[in-house]
Amino acid sequence: MSTTESKNLYGILAEFKNPKALVDASAKVVEAGYDKFDTYTPFPVHGIDKAMNLPKSKLGYIVFGHALLGFSGAIAMMYFMSVIDYQINISGKPFFNAPAWVPITFELTVLLSAFGAVFGMFFLNGLPKLSNPLFEVERFKKATDDGFFVCIEAKDSKFQADLVRQLFEEAGATHIEEVYEQ
Amino acid sequence: MSKYEYIPEPALVKGNHDFASITKLVTDVNLRPTPKNWYLAMLPANALLGLLLVSIGYLIWEGTGIWGLNNPVGWGWAIINFVWWVGIGHAGTLISAILFLFRQDWRTAINRFAEAMTIFAVMCAGVFPAIHVGRIWVIYWVFPVPNQMAMWPNFNSPLLWDVFAVSTYFTVSLLFWYVGLVPDLATLRDKATDKIRKVAYGLFALGWTGSSRAWWNYEKAYMILAGLATPLVLSVHTIVSFDFAVSMIPGWHTTIFPPYFVAGAIFSGFAMVLTLMIVARKIYGMKDIMTDDHMEKMNIIIMVTGSMVGFAYMMEFFIAWYSGVEYEKAIFMLRATGPYAWAYWIMMFCNVISPQVFWFKKLRRSVGFTFFISIVVNIGMWFERFVITVTSLSTDYLPSSWDYYSPTAWDVLTYVGTFGLFFTMFLLFLRFLPMIAIAEVKLVMPQGDPHNYDDETQEYHLHVEEVPQPKAVKA
Amino acid sequence: MSHKPTITDSLQFPADSKIPRVLLIVGAVGLLATAIGFATDLEQSLYSYLVSFVFFTGIGLASVFMVMFHHITKSKWGVVVRRIPETFGGNLKWWSLAFLPILGGMTVLYHHWTDPTLFDPSSANFDYIVAKKESYLNVPFFIIRQVIYFAIWGYVGHKLYKASVELEKTGDWGITTLMRKISAPAIPLFGLSIAFASFDWLMSLDPHWFSTMFGVYFFAISFQSFWAIMILMVFFLQSRGLLKNTIGQVHIYDLGAWLFAFTVFYAYIAFSQFLLIYYANLPEETLWFYERLEGSWKYIAYGLLLFRFVLPFLTLLNREQKHRKNVLRFVAIVVVIMHYLEIYWIAMPMLSEHGINFSWIDLTSFFGLGGIFFWMFFKKFQQNSMIPENDPKLDACLEKTYHQ
Repeated sequence: MSTTESKNLYGILAEFKNPKALVDASAKVVEAGYDKFDTYTPFPVHGIDKAMNLPKSKLGYIVFGHALLGFSGAIAMMYFMSVIDYQINISGKPFFNAPAWVPITFELTVLLSAFGAVFGMFFLNGLPKLSNPLFEVERFKKATDDGFFVCIEAKDSKFQADLVRQLFEEAGATHIEEVYEQ
Repeated sequence: MSKYEYIPEPALVKGNHDFASITKLVTDVNLRPTPKNWYLAMLPANALLGLLLVSIGYLIWEGTGIWGLNNPVGWGWAIINFVWWVGIGHAGTLISAILFLFRQDWRTAINRFAEAMTIFAVMCAGVFPAIHVGRIWVIYWVFPVPNQMAMWPNFNSPLLWDVFAVSTYFTVSLLFWYVGLVPDLATLRDKATDKIRKVAYGLFALGWTGSSRAWWNYEKAYMILAGLATPLVLSVHTIVSFDFAVSMIPGWHTTIFPPYFVAGAIFSGFAMVLTLMIVARKIYGMKDIMTDDHMEKMNIIIMVTGSMVGFAYMMEFFIAWYSGVEYEKAIFMLRATGPYAWAYWIMMFCNVISPQVFWFKKLRRSVGFTFFISIVVNIGMWFERFVITVTSLSTDYLPSSWDYYSPTAWDVLTYVGTFGLFFTMFLLFLRFLPMIAIAEVKLVMPQGDPHNYDDETQEYHLHVEEVPQPKAVKA
Repeated sequence: MSHKPTITDSLQFPADSKIPRVLLIVGAVGLLATAIGFATDLEQSLYSYLVSFVFFTGIGLASVFMVMFHHITKSKWGVVVRRIPETFGGNLKWWSLAFLPILGGMTVLYHHWTDPTLFDPSSANFDYIVAKKESYLNVPFFIIRQVIYFAIWGYVGHKLYKASVELEKTGDWGITTLMRKISAPAIPLFGLSIAFASFDWLMSLDPHWFSTMFGVYFFAISFQSFWAIMILMVFFLQSRGLLKNTIGQVHIYDLGAWLFAFTVFYAYIAFSQFLLIYYANLPEETLWFYERLEGSWKYIAYGLLLFRFVLPFLTLLNREQKHRKNVLRFVAIVVVIMHYLEIYWIAMPMLSEHGINFSWIDLTSFFGLGGIFFWMFFKKFQQNSMIPENDPKLDACLEKTYHQ
């Protein structure tokens, strides 16, 4: 591996003809022992998580944490405002009017959970990330249209350009090219 | 041969489409130069929006006295319009969340569209509670922020629940919509040829690459959002119904209000989606994606929810009699025979009778007829809120204070003006954002499923269902 | 992927199984004991019998509803388990006979509106409110209504079962069209008849009280427990080594998801009904809840909140838990018990106002009716395949796989 070249090389990108070919190819990439790689598709392809051996998403925990925060925050807020700070008798009901507080508790739990789901998802995906070496590849524009790509990154400890190329060719790639850092 | 005909599932996408042609079909609308007709449509929409602004301006200047409210009818068109628009807004979330959880793949053709409609409808709805308060400059009193009276909002008030419900609903719908848009914005970014579009779509696409690792979290987020939005959408109209039902006004205080309002909301929302869809798919040539099969399915939902509304009317009427409470009985009799009987029977006809025509397959699949019914339904649902609000107030407990309520020109102009806001936003949406969820449609196309490819050759090969010949066995 | 999924299990419920006989014995002994109860303490027996009757009938009604929804939405998720609710539904025509003791004792059970002196203005018993309801709450009309309900339920349940068996035997996919043709008009009929039945059976026990939501509420409680029963039925069959490979993880997950969904729906309906009545606090409505939040009745009321909503909700919130057998079995059992207690809590305060007063007849009528209900089920279940073979959606259902 020549050091001058690998500094600029981001990875090797291969295109496959359809989702099925991509799923089969990513299984081969995993089998060959690469882990710094990703596949790029215009829509989420069924079964690729298994082929790529993806770990379970952590998003559920983030959302659950937010839900707890929304739930307890709502109750704490209402308790402070209506029971501790400024009591007002409303139609003879108790100051801590639990049934009547359910709607707002529910809404705030949902609101915070939704924040957790959306922003947690962006966080886990490392977005926003407006600059990406892949965007320099003209052909990669197809990844949001009808192209199915695999990219093995040069960072991978097993990365060897010619072996990667060979692997892609054997897996039936329709197009292979190098991607460089800017 | 069988006595009955087996009807196989229709394909979701009609015509001979592949991924690229779907992308092109949808993105072309956004990327080609603005058509003249778009400006022609924008003109009246903007005029109405101007009308709305003038009406609001005058209201703030002069006060709520310009509306037709009287004593005893202290709630008039403002709340009717609010409930009507919020109700319409429910279809979008229903389609994107509930149908998603039920794995109804046909939703992909209309979900983007319906979600956009939701957001704009909720905007129109939000106008009314904001402006009806009279002193709009202290509207922040409804939020739990410190104010000059050192008081906090009343958390026992359903109107305050509404503040939380509607603002949460708007925020979550917007987020849900945006999450769905991100991959499609990336598609637009990659398809755009001019600098401005590239940068604008690129910014909002956040650098989405279509990475499977990202899709993995994305799908999880989408599932969770759908799981959150489903109870949320039920809660919003439930809380709107609480505005009425926690009170003790006859005709308002009835326990079936929550599910009945939700059913009515879905009913009118689907009708509005159909009204818009039928026009848009014709103008933009989307008939391959928004097919007649979609229309038929939506018509069935309209029929079901319309019948649920009818069921609720019947329960209300029966229990009003069964309760033995004189005021309850009186208000329901007055609705059907009193000064507002005309409104009541319009409501009955539009909401209960008219959707029953969809029992006939021919009519469910007739475009013109569906368009007609979709408008009738929304007229009916407006009158439902009118009947609920006005009849119960104008003929309340004390006959000596009964009074007939009529709107003024400003009531009408404000309402008509909200259509300006709605259509302005909608036209902007059609022009600049993909009206169909491109990635999701690709996902549900048979080509999108790796199972439909041959294991050996990796070539596309769709398994065609074969209808077996019935055996002649005596059952 | 053109290879069809193959079924490795035997699809026939073993003909020599002892289960039906055991159930018949349990049922017969239970009913006999209940008969003794009828002879000794008539009113208590009628109440106990009514609670158990409503419990099992609700499951039968929810079964038919589920089958109709499955047909009308052309679903595939539940084809492998559909024969179970179809069988429950197919038995409703005979099950109607179980209503006869209630009809026979209705002047005792519903004496709050059957007593003629209530309608007589000159009597000291005259009830101004009940008197206004005479044209609905009277014995002949009550009986006519019951006949109509059971005619609808029995007929539709029978037709749907028969159509499914015919499809299995002939492989005629056209029958799916017939199933939809039966289901579509039957759904609104069911909606109305179930609502009015709930008014008749439970709400009219206290003829002063009324709630427009009550029909929906009854639907919600029955449906939630229906999913729990479905889960327990599947686990029971699998514990006997039946359908072990046919009903897979994904199908159990779906049932768990339905139980979760209806737990939320139940909470929504029950809470809405409570909140509106609690908030407005009108004397004619609020007393009903007042009585049920007093004395030892309040333990059931709070128990419902905790064990019918909070516990199942939190347990099943996580996706993984919705297919874990031990978790599901536990939650399902809790839900079924709470369902019984909820009906008990609706009906019994009319008999024992100041607190829970369990009677041995509660148990005998539960096991008596339950034994008969499930005996009928297994008898019918034995007659045909345990899954609707040859159904057009069966392959798609079997092919489904669970993924995170």
